[in-house]
Amino acid sequence: MKTSNPQAGHLNALTTRQTRALFGLIVTTLVAAAVACASGSFDISLWALLKGNASALEQSVFNQIRVPRVLLSGLVGASLGLSGAALQGLFRNPLADPGLIGVSAGAALGAALIIVLGSQFAVGATLGAFLLPVAAISGAALVILLLYIMTRGFGYQGVTYMLLVGIAVNALASVGIGVLTYISDDAELRSLTFWSMGSFGGVTWPLLVPALLAITVVLLMMAPAARALDLLQLGEVEASRLGVDIVRLRYRVIFSAAAAVGASVSLSGMIGFVGLVVPHLVRLIGGVNHRYLLPGSALAGAGLLISADLLARTLIQPAELPVGLITSAVGSPFFLWLIFRMQKL
Amino acid sequence: MTISAAAVAVEIDGKCLLNDVPLCIEPGQIIAVVGPNGAGKSTLIAAIAGDITPTEGIIRYHDNDLQTLSFLDRAAIRSVMAQSQSVVYDFSVLDIIAMGWVRGRDGESARQFGAAVSAIVEECAIAELLGRTFNSLSGGEQRRVHFARALMQLWRPRGSANSAYLLLDEPTANLDLAHEVRLLKKLTALAADGIGILLVVHDLNIAAKFADKIALLHSGRMTCIGAPKDVLTAERLSKVFEIPISIDPNPLTIKYY
Repeated sequence: MKTSNPQAGHLNALTTRQTRALFGLIVTTLVAAAVACASGSFDISLWALLKGNASALEQSVFNQIRVPRVLLSGLVGASLGLSGAALQGLFRNPLADPGLIGVSAGAALGAALIIVLGSQFAVGATLGAFLLPVAAISGAALVILLLYIMTRGFGYQGVTYMLLVGIAVNALASVGIGVLTYISDDAELRSLTFWSMGSFGGVTWPLLVPALLAITVVLLMMAPAARALDLLQLGEVEASRLGVDIVRLRYRVIFSAAAAVGASVSLSGMIGFVGLVVPHLVRLIGGVNHRYLLPGSALAGAGLLISADLLARTLIQPAELPVGLITSAVGSPFFLWLIFRMQKL
Repeated sequence: MTISAAAVAVEIDGKCLLNDVPLCIEPGQIIAVVGPNGAGKSTLIAAIAGDITPTEGIIRYHDNDLQTLSFLDRAAIRSVMAQSQSVVYDFSVLDIIAMGWVRGRDGESARQFGAAVSAIVEECAIAELLGRTFNSLSGGEQRRVHFARALMQLWRPRGSANSAYLLLDEPTANLDLAHEVRLLKKLTALAADGIGILLVVHDLNIAAKFADKIALLHSGRMTCIGAPKDVLTAERLSKVFEIPISIDPNPLTIKYY
């Protein structure tokens, strides 16, 4: 039994093309992060920082503003890309995006509930900060469960159906947010607007650390599901015949996607289309196996959102665009192109 | 060491699809399930595969109640080739075949994987399909790949005992004559290696020629089970299939045109 067999490595290893693609994504993301750390309304010389002769102002902008912001946009991008890939696998449906199908809206509704009602019922600030991500994660989980129950057994034909359910959920959530907007006071209103557009402004280290932990846990939870998600593409019955416990897989993916999207939304508001665009691009450059697609989507999501945030804060300096506006501007034409392509299939 | 069903009944939405069905697949035995449309053939395969839980009765894999076995334990004992499956994303043919590998992913079993792929690709004559995407294949080619995947699940190193089972629902549908014969010969070879086989077929002549035993299903009941020459009688078949059927005894041939 020789390992020189060309297929022998196929079981666990990535193909050469996939390894190259992942490597390229790592390099691109790191470059984007470095550029994003250096540029903005106040340019910093990374070289000077490295040599240790940067001014105190440069150092403090770098440490307190740029690095947390770039880290957060990277983490949010990674979790949105990864959840998009995992949900597209679970639903066996290439149009499953946390934003399109209402998962982000569910999370935003959960967050909005806490922002508005939380302050009206005088929940303490510490408790409120803890409740916000929990509410967002619960909202996201509820929507994914609802979608899963409503679109079960549709397979590929469920594409339209799932998007319709997504429209309904999005509409319901905007009713909820609308009502909350109506009864909110000035300060609450400003926070709400921030959620609906998405932004990485105002990030601080204390806010970042829990997110970093949550998202790392999610990444680790998703990783063992890669093979099961591959098998699931044969259909639920077929996957269970090959040893996949579908119920456990389902809850693992639903919980981790909800946690990732919920944590992201609670920190940065609704950022659309990342979960749709990223897995598609990653499949195009390296293939469809989830052991490649999941890490690839996390990396590409991070790189994409770091770049989008860089654009958001440099395009109309010194003012700032909401980053959700940039991703939607890129994502919605892409979505149209996908629909156009599906029509031809 | 058998797969057995005792008094299995399946009721879905108040409709009785199977009633009081007994079955026992011995190692090395080929059992063909035949019967008219709606007789419960696919339901029987689904129940024995563990896809659906019987409303009554019990199914055992090697003396264990199927319901108590984990999905992985089941996958190690029996492999299923279903009627048709579609795949959403553009997996390569090699990806699909690799999905049948349930024997672990590191050390010795990872080394065996390469040997298994080479052997099965050659046996199934699908070498020229390997680099293509599964979705670009024709219906018949897709079935050949699914058959190869089912074989991957059963694969054991040469010389080791193989007490696995293969369940097939209409395996020859969409296959041209050459591939049909190749598949049926492969089933005979698997049975000679000790693998128990249960297959649903429409073609009674295939059942008569390749099966050790024939199970005749009609309206959810096992009308008759036994050796082909005992089960396939002109009178019984004409009654069950509701057309005049005659039998040539030597070799056993069923005529219905």
